Amino acid sequence: MTILLDVITTAAILFVVAAGLLAIFGVLKIINFAHGAWLTVGGYCAVATTGMGLNPWLALPVAFAVGSALGGITEVLVVRPLYRRPLDAILATWGLGIVVGQLITLWFGRDVQFTPNLLSGTINVFGLDYSFYRLFMVLAALVVGLGFAVLLEGTRLGLSARAVIMNETLARALGIDTAKVRLTTFMIGTGLTALAGVLLTPLTSVDPDMGLAWLIGAFMLVMVAGSSFGALAVACLVFGGAQTLVSTFVSPVLGGITVAVLCALVLRISPKGFARA
Amino acid sequence: MDRTTRKLLFAMAGGLLATAAWAEDPIKIGIPVGLSGANSVVAPSVVQSAELAVEEINAAGGVLGRKLQLEIADDASGAAGAQKAFDSLVFQKEVNAIITMETSAARNAGLPIVAKGEVPFIYTSFYEGRSCSPNLFVNGWVPEQQVPPIVDYFVKKEGAKKFFLVGSDYAFGRGMLEFARTYLEKAGAQVVGEEYLPIEGTDWTAIISKLKSSGADALITSTAGGAPNVTLTKQLRGAGIKLPYGNLAVDEGTAKSMGPDAAGIYIAASYVTSIDSPANKKFLEAMQKKFSGELRTPNDLSVPQYEGIYLYKAAVEKAGSTDASAVLSALGEVSVAGPRGTVSMNKQHHAPLTMYLGQVQENGSVKVVETFPDVDPGTQCPNL
Amino acid sequence: MPESRLPNIRVWLLGALVVASLLMIAFGPVFLDRFALNVLSRSMIYAMLAVTVDLLWGYAGVLTFGQAAFFGIGAYATAMVLTHLGSSPELLLLAFVLAILVPLVLGVVVGWLSFGYGTTPLYATVISLVLPIVVTQVAFSGGQWTGSSSGLVGYATLPLSLAGYFRLTGICLLAVAAAAWIFVRSDAGKVLVAIRDNEARCAYLGLNASRIKIALTAVLAGVTGLAGFLFANASGVVAPENTGFVFGTELVIWTALGGRGTILGPVLGTIGIDYLSASLSGQLPFLWKLVVGALFVAMIILLPNGLAGLVGKILPRSKGSRGEGGPLRQAQVMQVPQDVVDKPPLLTIHDLGKSYGSLNVLQGINLTVQPGELVSLVGPNGAGKTTLMRCLSDGTESISGSVSVRGANIAGLAPDAIVALGVGRKFQVASVFDSLTVAECLRMARAARYRPSLVHSSQELDLPSAAVEILKLTALDGMLDRPVSALSHGLKQSLELTMVVALEPQLILLDEPTAGLTKTERMTIGTILKKLTGELGLAAILVEHDLDFVREISSRIVVLHQGQLVLDGTVQDVVNSELVKAIYSGGAHD
Repeated sequence: MTILLDVITTAAILFVVAAGLLAIFGVLKIINFAHGAWLTVGGYCAVATTGMGLNPWLALPVAFAVGSALGGITEVLVVRPLYRRPLDAILATWGLGIVVGQLITLWFGRDVQFTPNLLSGTINVFGLDYSFYRLFMVLAALVVGLGFAVLLEGTRLGLSARAVIMNETLARALGIDTAKVRLTTFMIGTGLTALAGVLLTPLTSVDPDMGLAWLIGAFMLVMVAGSSFGALAVACLVFGGAQTLVSTFVSPVLGGITVAVLCALVLRISPKGFARA
Repeated sequence: MDRTTRKLLFAMAGGLLATAAWAEDPIKIGIPVGLSGANSVVAPSVVQSAELAVEEINAAGGVLGRKLQLEIADDASGAAGAQKAFDSLVFQKEVNAIITMETSAARNAGLPIVAKGEVPFIYTSFYEGRSCSPNLFVNGWVPEQQVPPIVDYFVKKEGAKKFFLVGSDYAFGRGMLEFARTYLEKAGAQVVGEEYLPIEGTDWTAIISKLKSSGADALITSTAGGAPNVTLTKQLRGAGIKLPYGNLAVDEGTAKSMGPDAAGIYIAASYVTSIDSPANKKFLEAMQKKFSGELRTPNDLSVPQYEGIYLYKAAVEKAGSTDASAVLSALGEVSVAGPRGTVSMNKQHHAPLTMYLGQVQENGSVKVVETFPDVDPGTQCPNL
Repeated sequence: MPESRLPNIRVWLLGALVVASLLMIAFGPVFLDRFALNVLSRSMIYAMLAVTVDLLWGYAGVLTFGQAAFFGIGAYATAMVLTHLGSSPELLLLAFVLAILVPLVLGVVVGWLSFGYGTTPLYATVISLVLPIVVTQVAFSGGQWTGSSSGLVGYATLPLSLAGYFRLTGICLLAVAAAAWIFVRSDAGKVLVAIRDNEARCAYLGLNASRIKIALTAVLAGVTGLAGFLFANASGVVAPENTGFVFGTELVIWTALGGRGTILGPVLGTIGIDYLSASLSGQLPFLWKLVVGALFVAMIILLPNGLAGLVGKILPRSKGSRGEGGPLRQAQVMQVPQDVVDKPPLLTIHDLGKSYGSLNVLQGINLTVQPGELVSLVGPNGAGKTTLMRCLSDGTESISGSVSVRGANIAGLAPDAIVALGVGRKFQVASVFDSLTVAECLRMARAARYRPSLVHSSQELDLPSAAVEILKLTALDGMLDRPVSALSHGLKQSLELTMVVALEPQLILLDEPTAGLTKTERMTIGTILKKLTGELGLAAILVEHDLDFVREISSRIVVLHQGQLVLDGTVQDVVNSELVKAIYSGGAHD
């Protein structure tokens, strides 16, 4: 029973962390290696918000706003010239991540920062005391996932985005302002990532490198998921589950590299990952 | 630029200007330290206490009539950075001694360089033990000194019988817990679980679930300092773990800022700010006066750094020169009375230390629960 | 070989550089202090790594973070032998061999994982990320064997002084850089660029790009392991971060700042940045990283070829340094090999079907082609013509029925293996190598047949007479030195056709070879095709929309409609067919 909860909550956390990366990769076909830096930015938004004595929950909208604003600047200055050079885009965003990390360090210092917990304590589920916050993350993942489903299926932007995913040239020919779709998608992606950064603060320490630890896992999951949020959810459940099981029954050390190694193997066998499923 | 770095630069510039007033060349002390990377949280406090020591010694006339001068270099908390830092200090700045706390990887990376350059190296960090070199002296604690206070206390006072051990998968984490396991088994307690997470790991879920189902009645952790320690503690508290919890890697400053999550944690250290001795009071006052608003909480790494410089001073004075071999043979014989009490690195290049068992209070302060005088470092380097 | 060309400024500079490097290596220890010697020894080892990163990324187009892992394995192998076994000369030799061999073998495995047929270029990058993570974890978990986080230290190393290590690493770096310099200018080196430019075209020229990249990965892993051996000796310590992903990214950053796609750039970039960081970063650790990071981003966006690329643009281009055409030689006169004539038919398609999900694109196709035939494949858009061409040239497509070339079933064969059976394919959009010259493109078409030299850069061009003839007809023979990117659309089409003919195929597949060409160009292509089939006995299958053109040159016409073969006959039969008229007027729906 604990295992089941562990698997579901681990998958939920992975989903929340990877969603922003997927939004960008799905539409723009660009891998945003500054993803870790945006998570960190989110974490520090929580530090700044609570530092000003505001309600910690307020950090969520603040982080989304800050993340998307910075994302907008990034898209225009860094990513836009590189759409035709996707490998270079990986490098440029990685470099950007270094810059953001150092700026945070110069501003806030290198220290580990602390934020009040959003929700603390445990809750009784089926006779088990389980971390309340981890269960809350499942809700957060559902909100993010459903939010995207609504955004993609129910709005004009979503329609345009889907058109760009399927056939960008055609989309442009149909009069869709693809540049705007890209900018908006990128901003939503980075905003969401910063938001995920806030959601991580009760689980991890906040320091200038906090995002880096999540980058590779999120990257691998997105590679497997392609451009579909459904596939990402499946990937998070499968690989997050594998990570939990390996950690529990074999060794947490192996568990730490489970996601990366399994994703790499899956991609070798089926280069499109779960995208077709 | 952050304040510490700026201050550092000023300090270095100031040091250069002041040189002219002294007759002979200054004695240079190299401090390769993790200004960036994992150790950068604690490094500023280490630099501060070194600055105080040098200021005090110079104000009292220096060493053999020569002024002390600090040379600080960033080792990026790792091997590659340490090579650069040691190269620069040993070969470019030509320091007379290296006195510093570093990660084990950085220390190891520096050892071949101090050997090539024939420079004494006083290592001021606690570590997993058994690093032996003719050039190396250590005044921080090793597992043999730190683990017994916590284990003894848990067994005797808390009545704990089943221990669960959790660590980061690296030399310190494994070294500490391996010793803890042996010691526990000798003490008649049972180890019901021993789990490690990769050093950069962030998800302790599976380990915490195992801990919960193990029936343990005490928990001992030895993670990497800083982020992993905080992450684990947060997740433990999130999962509602309320066992007696001994943390082998948390420092006072971190515990203080961790807030309510840290309350109740037991730590064992050779230094806590609440040591009630005149030497410690004088030290704390001097630190407060020198750094006031910029002061970093003195801790179990920065105080040995402070004492390390005094130990070096004593050795040079005993040897009558800064000649490396003379200083190295003196280093094992001299002793210094500092904030931690009287310290001498006379046990196979390691130091017997008074250890304090403390518990973090609700307000973040550390209350000393028990004192263990002169704990021996055990067999560290039998060949030296 | 003509010796008339005067050595120009580039060659002079290069010669001067080699001499200067040798002098520096020999006399550096005399005037450099111990600090500089020690730092430079390490920087030069890192520079070797940057060269390997550059060969993979700058030349072959494979972005890799994994060189750090091979380096770490080489260093760990050395340190582990010296720590756990001892340090006799024999054991040092063992360490040396293992430091190269272990990465080499692992390189083969990693290469096989990364470059399987059909994997994306991104996948190699993915693997290169996972590899250092796994290796680092192994180093952490290795306990006493690897020293965990503390690494290994205190083992006996090669008995060399600081100056000795400086000279040793200097010579190794010079050797590696010189070898790389010669290699990238050789014919084989051009193959890497061709693969980076257009991997599909390489496959359809009979080159097994996967195998070439696997070999490259493995060899460079070995070189990297050698650097690891040097590092373990020179530094006397090996730690997990030497093998980590972050170090891998640093190597890429140094390469990028120095200038990818050049050899000198990454070498100087690495030495410069590493030396500067040793001298400066101690004082300003965060600012230093910030500056390097910002510079890197700016460089990637604005100057993708780095500083060396900028310098390269300013210096006049040497004629000798880029493969020019050289004299054109008709090495072989092409003739139909006997066995083909013995065993017609050349191509047999039996009951071929292809579907995507529930959509049937091709159904029940039966077709036989004999030597000397020129078969035109016509039909409206969406009839499945291009799909059919693909099924004939790529055996990895999942189909029903069978396709045989010269009696051999092509099922499961990758394009390069089908080229070896004698099939050449020309694509609809001219598929050539934009970074190469015309002569280099043509040499690429011969590379599968005659193994290109790893050292020499050919001055001659050996082509079958038919290919030479096309060059002459299209006036390409006067443009052999010209970069392909400067050719007109029509000339690119002609070049691609020449490349396909240069393969000496027995069956040529052509997808709309005349699209977008002028009337004259079209006539030229028609003449060539007639000659190839009529006089030389090749067979050709041609997808074409221009019915006048088809009527003029075909010996037989096949009509495809809605995935089915509806008519197969002589020009006369088809042209007069009511069905064809109906299809083309859009009326026919069976």
